[in-house]
Amino acid sequence: MDFRKLQSANKLKSTELLFGMALLVGVVIWALLTYFGKTGVGVVPFAVGIALLSVWGSYWASDKIVLTMTGAKLITEADNKQLYDLVSEICIAAGLPVPKIAIVEDNAPNAFATGRNQDHAVIAFTTGILRVMDREELQGVTAHELAHVANRDTLVSAIAATTAGALALLSDFMLRMMIFGGGNRRDNNNNDQNPLALVASLVVIILAPLAALLLRLAISRKREALADVTAVAFTRNPTGLRRALEVLAADNTVVKQKSTAVAHIWIESPLDGSKTSQLFSTHPPLATRIATLRAMEGNS
Amino acid sequence: MKVLVLVLVVLVILALLAVMSRNRLVRASISVDEAFAQIEVQLKRRSDLIPNLVETVKGYAAHESSTFEAVVAARAKATTATTVTDVAAADGQLTQALRGLLAVTENYPDLKASTNFLSLQEELSSTENKVSFARQFYNDNVRTLNSAIKTFPSSLFVKSAGVTTKPFYEVDDPQDRKAPQVKF
Repeated sequence: MDFRKLQSANKLKSTELLFGMALLVGVVIWALLTYFGKTGVGVVPFAVGIALLSVWGSYWASDKIVLTMTGAKLITEADNKQLYDLVSEICIAAGLPVPKIAIVEDNAPNAFATGRNQDHAVIAFTTGILRVMDREELQGVTAHELAHVANRDTLVSAIAATTAGALALLSDFMLRMMIFGGGNRRDNNNNDQNPLALVASLVVIILAPLAALLLRLAISRKREALADVTAVAFTRNPTGLRRALEVLAADNTVVKQKSTAVAHIWIESPLDGSKTSQLFSTHPPLATRIATLRAMEGNS
Repeated sequence: MKVLVLVLVVLVILALLAVMSRNRLVRASISVDEAFAQIEVQLKRRSDLIPNLVETVKGYAAHESSTFEAVVAARAKATTATTVTDVAAADGQLTQALRGLLAVTENYPDLKASTNFLSLQEELSSTENKVSFARQFYNDNVRTLNSAIKTFPSSLFVKSAGVTTKPFYEVDDPQDRKAPQVKF
């Protein structure tokens, strides 16, 4: 498979998913209007405002926050010249400025990248991954992480998180209003409403947060797949990343910092070990990722 | 009246698309120039490493004069090149000469073990990778620019944007496209 075609396909897919989110917002607003009339919609700015405040603060300071949460330590070129060289090389291929580089003390091999934009980006490696991978594999991992920076995935996840958060809040408000403030309904001639529409809007309000979560995870999986392909676009060497993923697949250790808040940014999801179903995982299965890379190797 | 408004809206949209197309061309052209400057930066880094490398190797393998001469001559040629094709040709020659020099060092275990040579080798290897990626990045940008110039609708604005197609950076030896990888 040609990596350029895969890149466009993945970008299209994730854009479609984002539109799916927007559509979900539209459907929820319809449900609000149907069930509560115009008064119901007044809650929307509050929900959006709260979601924005809670997500965008952490998006803006994502580099500092994630560094603190994971206990990562920044390094200079002199601290680890070979690693610095490796990262700089891919930055040239990607046309990115060299980000801050950090190391996390952890035996489990893993890596992540974060930061609100390419000028405030940070890429981190665990001591485990530096110990267990050779240069070619590390190059693949670095390229994958820098691909997240190049594709602005921190921004994409922030948008998805804000939307999902706002929807969850809306749903919560609505259910409370229904239980405690049923008086609203009398003001908008609900008797004229199609009872089916009322039920439908109720179902929507209850299920919206779940749908939003599923969409958000689907977006995360697509962006991970896109990062794999973009990594190949940078290195022109699918073998490096493929071998790196095989090393990760064979290794059973998991990073200590497995909080769900940061799970999505690691190259291998630390939550993979648990029996979470496919729909609830932030990354595509390693086997699928390895197979896609092998298919690309066949072409070079 | 409504038709007039519609026509105006369509015209505004078309004008915006035109501006976007033209700017895309200009940005693509600037990106190509920047990418070429990046190649030159990396080539200069490599060029600056060479005297030290040659001296270090000479310290252990003084009689391999033909190899040294090849490197020094190729380096001198590289410093005078300016156009894309000249720089690429000189780059290819120097890469080959350096490869010859490093092949020679295989026969001198004392040299290979010296810390001075090891750090130079890492520096050189990383610089070769950077040159290789800089070439790749330049060619990617040239592809974007040339495609934008040739495809509709941006092809309409080529004169207005004042851009021209740029040549690809082609190195002679196909082996040169792969940088020597050093395993730790």
